[in-house]
Formats: sequence, structure tokens, C-alpha cells
Amino acid sequence: METRQLDVRGTKCPVPIVRAKKEIDAMQAGDVLEVLATDPGSVSDFQGWAKTSKLAVLKGQRTEKDQTGREIYVHVLERRG
Amino acid sequence: MAEASPATPSIEVGDLLSRADAGEPLLLLDVRNDEEFDAWRFEGRRPIETVHIPYFDFIEDAPGCIDRLPRHREIVVLCAQGGSSAMVVDTLREAGLPARNVAGGMVTYGEYLRPVRVPIPAAEAPSWEIWQVNRRGKGCLSYVVRAGREAIVVDPSRDVSWYEAFARRLGARIVRVLDTHVHADHLSGGPALSRRSGAPYFVQAGEGFELRQPVEALGDGQELRLGGETGVTVQVRIMATPGHTPGSCSYRIGRRHLLTGDTLFVRSVGRPDLGGHVVEWGRALFHTLRERLASLPEDTVILPAHFAGPDEIGPDAVVAAPLAALRGEVPELRITDEEAFVAAMRAALKPPPAAYAEIIRANLGLVAVEPEQATEWELGKNQCAARPMPAVS
Repeated sequence: METRQLDVRGTKCPVPIVRAKKEIDAMQAGDVLEVLATDPGSVSDFQGWAKTSKLAVLKGQRTEKDQTGREIYVHVLERRG
Repeated sequence: MAEASPATPSIEVGDLLSRADAGEPLLLLDVRNDEEFDAWRFEGRRPIETVHIPYFDFIEDAPGCIDRLPRHREIVVLCAQGGSSAMVVDTLREAGLPARNVAGGMVTYGEYLRPVRVPIPAAEAPSWEIWQVNRRGKGCLSYVVRAGREAIVVDPSRDVSWYEAFARRLGARIVRVLDTHVHADHLSGGPALSRRSGAPYFVQAGEGFELRQPVEALGDGQELRLGGETGVTVQVRIMATPGHTPGSCSYRIGRRHLLTGDTLFVRSVGRPDLGGHVVEWGRALFHTLRERLASLPEDTVILPAHFAGPDEIGPDAVVAAPLAALRGEVPELRITDEEAFVAAMRAALKPPPAAYAEIIRANLGLVAVEPEQATEWELGKNQCAARPMPAVS
């Protein structure tokens, strides 16, 4: 089981989900993708996307401060089987 | 799905509002998530047919989403900032549907300002004018009063360059900047406009509030004269009208027009609960409404700082009403007993708007705000009235 990180900090929608979907599509079942985003809209967007996505499951979300002190949103996704 | 191409056809918010107000047969496709869509919508003066499909549904299954759309209707696509909607426009156009992107999305809709002249008979106002600046997305109203080559600005939004350009268009110099009260729903452009124009700024915070802005010392009953050098003046009289906040003021322009801030709207009164003192502030509001405002002539035109929905915009595109009509329109004005009024205010208690405490602190001059933070704080429609918000249909 692999864990990848996708850094979409500094980008606005639709980029975070467009890129997250691309990663998830290329992953194996059970692999985990951690998406780092700065767009506050990404919180509800990832929740909404995960509900209808065929391959991505939203395992959790959290907010953190990155090394520059910026507020970032971390979305943890798992690739479905 | 590729990111939007640079040439995605778009429509400006102002154009969309004009067309929606005229009832043109457009389809509005809102591609935001459920939470954002439920909280705040684009509103025209006539109903606009709206379909809600989040943009990530298009990412998962574009053909399935496209099947849900009518083929022969012009579609305008709307999202929070204009990025996801542009992507969806490209997808729709590839499938042969006529679609355009609402440039800047809801953020731009929330910031858009449209000036409308308040109609005053020429005999009464031969050479002065009141402009109502309508911030449709949030329901905020600000004012520019011009007499001769002088202008005052009341309750400006934070897009100060808009007011500077507008004053230039009117051939006037901004000589005073006023806020009716310390706002909780938007960041005041007052201090910045004052610094840039050199015009003094006035707002009254009232007891218990630390105001850290340089303000002129003006008092209740004080009169300002506008338009001096051309010999045509209009008086601006300050009236203390506490209630919505302890420091709330109204500004009487000439004989018959009153900028009431959030004290009195055309369908309701301002909520007195945002300081945590609904009983005390409610009593103050009661006395303001029944004594100070009731003593004004019946034909006084009330010009408020907010409106709750496009139905409050009159046929002349102005939000206004004579005091005489408000007694019929505003149930709270008919309550004659102080305790009953306070009870009504307590019954109308509702959660405060999201960033209200931060916005108040910023308007008091206690914190500086970055533009991106400002945008986030100002998302959404105002909730200044003491009435439950009508359900979004």
C-alpha cells in the first residue's frame, strides 16, 4: 500500500480536484493520496467529490500550518478497489 | 479534463444582472458544491431558471451531466471564483452547447457595484443629487451625495477606487466620508477613502467600543454644508439613532431624505442583537424609532444601508420608501409597547453572520486585513435585518 502526496498549494478550483482525480486514477486499490491545498473552498469540494466519485474515498480532512506558516487543508483519499 | 483555455467566452456580472432583471430566457448553471449553493445564490429581480450540478460531477461524468441540460437555451455557468465554471463552459461548448462563463464568479457578484440616481424633483434639488450605490450580491447600499463640485460618500464598500472614479465622473471632489455605524457584514472603505482623498472620516462606535480610527468629532444635530463654493448648498444633518449599534447615526440630506444606515430598512428594522445586548440595544432602538424617527415629516424618504432581497428594489431601481409607507410595510414600527418590541427582537434572534466579529474589529481599526482574507470574510449576503431570512426558493 503506497502513500503519495499531491501538492496543489497556491492553486484554486478546479485544479485541486482535477489533479487529485488524475493521481487516483493512476493508483492501485488501497493506495492513499494526501492532497495539500490552500484553497478554503477545497474542503467542501473534496467532500462533495468523494460522494460521487467512483474511485476515491475521503478518509479524512485536517487543517495545518505549513513551513511558511500558511493555513493548509489536507485531504486524505484512498483509492477504491 | 483540461484546464480552461484562455479564450473561454464569458459574460460580465453587470450584464448578467441586467439580463436576469429583464427576465431574459437564460439558464444559470451553478457548479459550486452543495454547501456554497445552499448558503448564497445569484439573484435577479426576476426569477432565473437555475440548475445546480457541482463541477466535480462534470469531472467524473461529463456526458451524464450534459444530458441533464436543455439543448437550445443559452447557458451561463457560475462558480465561486470563475475557474471551475470556465472549465465547465469549455466542456459544454465542446459538446455543442452555447455556454458562457460568469467572469469572476460569486466573488465578483459579491463585489459588483451599480450606481442609481435617487429621483428628486428638480424644483427641490436643482443642482444637487443623491446616488444610491447598490452592491447587489450582498444587499449593501452606499451613497454619494454631490452638490456643486463637492461630494460626500456614506458607507463605502472597500473598493475605494470605484468611489474615486465615480466622484471624478460626477466632476466632484470627495470632501467627507461617513459611515452610519460600525458595520458587521462588510469591510468599510471609509478609512482608506479618507486617507487617499484627504477628506475627514466620521463614524461613531458608541459606548463600550474602542475606535482606533482617526475620526472627526461630529455630534448629534451637527450640520455640514455641501457645495459651498458654487453657492448651492445642501445640508447634511447628523442624527444619533442608536439601537442596531449604540453609535448608529442617520444622515439627513436636505429637507426630506434620510440615510438610515441599518436602523430602518424598507421592510424591517435593524437587528439589535449583534453586541450580545439585545434587551438594552432593543430598548434604544425602540426609542429611536418611536421618538426620533417618528417625529420626522411623513414624506421623509428613507434610504437604508441594506436590503434583504431584490423585491425591495423599486421600479426606479432604487431601494427607498417614504416614512408614511413604512408604517404599513414594517410590522415592528406598529408596536407601541417597549416590552413587546423587545420581545419581538428576542424572538427574531438568529445566529450572527460568519465573520462578523472579525469584520467589526477591522472596522474599529483594531486589525489590518489582507485582500484575500477580506474576500473570504465578505462571502455571502448580509443578515442585518431583525427578521428570519426567507427560505431560498
